[in-house]
Formats: sequence, structure tokens, C-alpha cells
Amino acid sequence: MNLEPVARPKSAEPWSRTTTQSRLLQVVASLVPILISAAAWLVLGVDPIVVVVFILLPLLLISIGTVGFLLKGKRGVPDAILIVMTLFLGTFVMVLLLSVVWSLFDAGFRALSPHFIYQNNVYVTPTDGLEFGGVGHAIIGTLLVVGLSTIITVPLGVATGVYLTETRSNGRGFVRVVLQAMAGLPSIVAGLFVYSMLIVTGVSQYAGWLGAFALVPLMLPTVSRVTEEALKLVPQELRNGALGLGASSWKAFFQVTLPAAKSGVVTAILLGVARVVGETAPLLLTVFPIAGTNLNLLEGGMATLPTYIYRFVALGFDTAIARAWGAALVLMILVGILFGLARYISRPKSIKKKKVNR
Amino acid sequence: MNKVSLDTFHLEARDINVWFGDRHVLKDVNLQFPSNQVTALIGPSGCGKSTFIRTLNRMHELIPTAGLAGSVLIDGQDIYDESVDPSQVRLKVGMVFQKPNPFPTMSIRENVISGLKLSGRKSQISDDLVEDSLKRASMWSEAKDRLDEPALSLSGGQQQRLCIARSLAMNPEVILMDEPCSALDPGSTRRIEETILELKETMSIVIVTHNMQQAQRVADKTAFFLADDNQPGYVVEFGDTQQIFNQPEDARTNDYVNGHFG
Repeated sequence: MNLEPVARPKSAEPWSRTTTQSRLLQVVASLVPILISAAAWLVLGVDPIVVVVFILLPLLLISIGTVGFLLKGKRGVPDAILIVMTLFLGTFVMVLLLSVVWSLFDAGFRALSPHFIYQNNVYVTPTDGLEFGGVGHAIIGTLLVVGLSTIITVPLGVATGVYLTETRSNGRGFVRVVLQAMAGLPSIVAGLFVYSMLIVTGVSQYAGWLGAFALVPLMLPTVSRVTEEALKLVPQELRNGALGLGASSWKAFFQVTLPAAKSGVVTAILLGVARVVGETAPLLLTVFPIAGTNLNLLEGGMATLPTYIYRFVALGFDTAIARAWGAALVLMILVGILFGLARYISRPKSIKKKKVNR
Repeated sequence: MNKVSLDTFHLEARDINVWFGDRHVLKDVNLQFPSNQVTALIGPSGCGKSTFIRTLNRMHELIPTAGLAGSVLIDGQDIYDESVDPSQVRLKVGMVFQKPNPFPTMSIRENVISGLKLSGRKSQISDDLVEDSLKRASMWSEAKDRLDEPALSLSGGQQQRLCIARSLAMNPEVILMDEPCSALDPGSTRRIEETILELKETMSIVIVTHNMQQAQRVADKTAFFLADDNQPGYVVEFGDTQQIFNQPEDARTNDYVNGHFG
């Protein structure tokens, strides 16, 4: 008997199989509108925004819709429209975001240099060149003010989130309303509040801690609402499991519920920090921006990155504006580093490789 | 009914009535659970079996709007007495839930000892205890080489046995099981039933089940619950499993165990 080796089937993706012809049709249908739009822009000189909205989008919808109809019949048309709209709007948002980031790099890179990161501004006049002077003092100030604000807000905010999810208190509805109102609070009002309560009354001079206080009501609603959502996602079975083992509700929360919601709570804190790190108005009213470095939150002026940007843009000189752009870039990078660190610290325990020899 | 002297009733429910808000869901339930026996609670869905079992270790009160009248006695002591701490009750009366619920942030080992950690008895934690608990839940051979892997890497049946091991590590006097096999395949179900039969040597077990064969295989006693439309549930008949299934006194019990309704 002649034993042929049995041909083993190869793994494939039959669900995404397309014929060359239909693939070609789709490529042509997407390219033609793009080419027509490019011609309208480059040859006829139509404004690019007009081209994208009034020429590219309708043409794409028509051509992709027609191809969808040819390939799949009636049901292909809504499919095609959905795909075009999703891609178009997604691209639109990406372009917006990237253009913000790009303009920051474009304008801020000029001022960026090692000494820009660590030097302060003490001997720098507005018209000085970019060879010396920097935002070191403002980086320190931002870290201190936002750091203190975070230290105050996180326990309050997380506790509020816990109150909203883990208790059955009747006051929860009221607290939610107050939080929503707080979320709509204009940031300058938070600054004015601290200004009128603590500075006008003579409790304190302008100081870093007042700035931190002014940021708390801005950060609190974000932290508590996102914490609430994160805790809501923890299945009730887990709480019951812990309580069924004789845990006090205290231990059940800290050893089971909170660890299960850890990444969500970290997200809550990050979103809170992101909410306030760029706030300028409350700080203008509570912290006097100075050119030197100050490590003392309790006394004296303190520069922060947003107030630094505000002041240097207002100066109007070429190099001053370049410094402001540089500071904005530094602020963005700083936030990126902080978020990366927080994500790294709170990452889930690495899951060990499953044994294969089973 | 067997003649049993009162002091062998380990756990006893007296005149239990349960409400959710204004809805009366259980009426005048009187059941006695003897030591070292398995009691099955059977009945159609929505008749209050799961609700009843949750009153036995004070898990019932965790549901918002829950209400209760009556008393549950363990060794003669009412667990709903003011002076009783619910977490102390739950240490004595362990629970295994319908859906396996191992703690996702913990490894297999940590799950087994989680009860001791959660109840502040860390000094009792030992490798022997982990091994012993997993062995009693017939989980040891599958888990011994992967104790430090996350609990969620286990299959559903293994997760449920891990949850049983987690309860056993607390050395409870009673274990309540609320449809422990409803999410499991026949193989896992059989292993859990074997486990139940071994466990009753050292503790009493109350099990809610929709599976008639399961009740007959594992239970010494059976209680049949029933609820008429929009009426509170009640116990129709309670007695030895053989009697309930073979010579039920009530016609409705006969219909139910023979699959005519429910």
C-alpha cells in the first residue's frame, strides 16, 4: 500500500478572504476621491479645509458606498458609510491632536536645552537670549504644588468614591449633585475662594500651599467620580466572597475590593492630576510667581509652569515667547513621564508563564 | 421522621420570614440541620432557597432592602442576637457561591489562605494548611505545582474547588453551598460531590441544588421549597432524602421530584 503523507491544513483566516478584484475595486474607490481632492487643492487652489469637508468626504462616501453596493448589495451601503465615517472622524481627531503636539515641539524646541530644564530665571531679563535661564524653578514649583494638592485630594476623593459605591447611605444622591456642581466650577472661582478666605483675611501671604488648596476642589470631582466608576466594576461576588469568609467590611474592602479596582483608582488619580496640572487662574490668585527657586510651600512666592507660560507670553518679546513655548513643551513631557511612571508602578503583577507540558 | 434528640441539631432555623422591601418572599420556614449530615434544599426557581440559605450566615442582610423575622440558632445561640458579630458567624458558617469567585488579584495559595488573612488570623497560616485544605477539596494534585499562579488561570471547576478549599481553610462548622455545580461540567460536578461526602465527616453541609440526582446522591435530608404565584415561598416537605424522593407525603413534592413542574 502506498502511504501518502496526509496534508495537514494550514491556519488561515477564511473570514477575511477577499478576491483580488474586489480588493482592487476598494483601493480604486478610495484613491480616486483622494486624487480628485488633491488636484482641487494643488491645481485649483481651493482651501484645504473646504476640500476635505466638501469634496473628499462626500466623494469617499459615494465611491465606497457604490463599491459596497456592488460587492454586497443593499447591506453593503450602511457598512461602507460607517467605515468611511469612522475612519474619517478618527483621522480628524488624530490630526487635531498631533497638530497640537507638533506645534508644541515646533515652537518649543528652540528654547529647549539642558540648562533650560535645571536653571532658574533669577538673572534673566525678558529680552535676554536663550543661552541661559530656564524653567527648573517652575518644574519644581509645579511638582510641589500639584504634589501637595494630590496628597490632599486623593484620600478625600477616593474616600468619596468609596462612600458612593460601598455604602447604602441616603446622602449619596446629594453628594453626587455636589460633585457635579464642583466639576462645573470655573477654576478661577476656586482661586478666588482661597484668595478671599485665606489671603484677604490675613491668614497667610501668597504661598505654594494656598495654590495647592485652590486646586483641590478642581481635582476632587474627577478623582471621586472615576474612583466610583472603577469600584462599581468590581463584581459583587468578590465582596460577598470576602464577607462570606468572615472578613470585616474594612478588610474586605482593603484586601479584595480595592486591589481589584487598583488600576481604575490609579486612572482616577492620573485624570485628577491631568485636570489641574495646567491650571493657571487659581495659581495666579494664590501663588506669587517668582524668578528664583523656592522649595518652601509654606512661605514665599513660587513659580509654576502654567504661570511661567502666562507671564512670558504676556511679555511679548521674541525670546520670552520662545521660553513660554519651551515651558509648555516641558509641561507636556513632564505629564507624560508622570503618567508613565504611575502606570508602571500600578501595573498588574506579572502573570507567570503557564506550563506547556500539560 | 427520625427520632433525633434536640442537642444534635447543630443549626436550626426557626420561623424564618424574609422580605425584600414590601415583598414577602419566605414564610415560616422551620428547618433543623443535624450534625455531620448533608441537607439539600430543592424547589423551582424563585421559591426562596438561595435567599433562605443566605439567612443562615447573615449574608442576607448585605442585600439592600432586606428584611427578616425569626431566628437562626447555632448550638442554641441565636446568630441574629444583638451581641453577635456577623463576621464571627461567617467564620463558623462558610459559604460557597453559585459562581466561582476566587480573588483575581491573588495566587492560588493566597486564595486558600485569604480567609485567615481577612479575618486577622495570620498566625495560623502554614504550608500544611494550604496542602490540607486543597487535599480536602480534592484540588491538591492539580494545584500543587502551580500554587503561585493566579487563581484565574484555573478552569471553572477548579476555581470552584479552590473556593471550597478557601472555605475549608477556615475550618468552619457548617458549609453552605448555593448551587455550587450549576456552572460546572459533569466531571467537576462529580468531584465536588465526592468532596461533599468526605466533608460531612467533619462538618454539616447545606446545599441548594436544582439537580434531583445530585440531591439523591449527596443529601441525607431534603427540604422541598415552593412558592405560589406572587406568594411567599414556604417549605412543603422536609425529611429523609429517600422518603422525599420515593414516598413523598405531599402530592406537589411527588410532582416536582418526578419532573412534572418547576
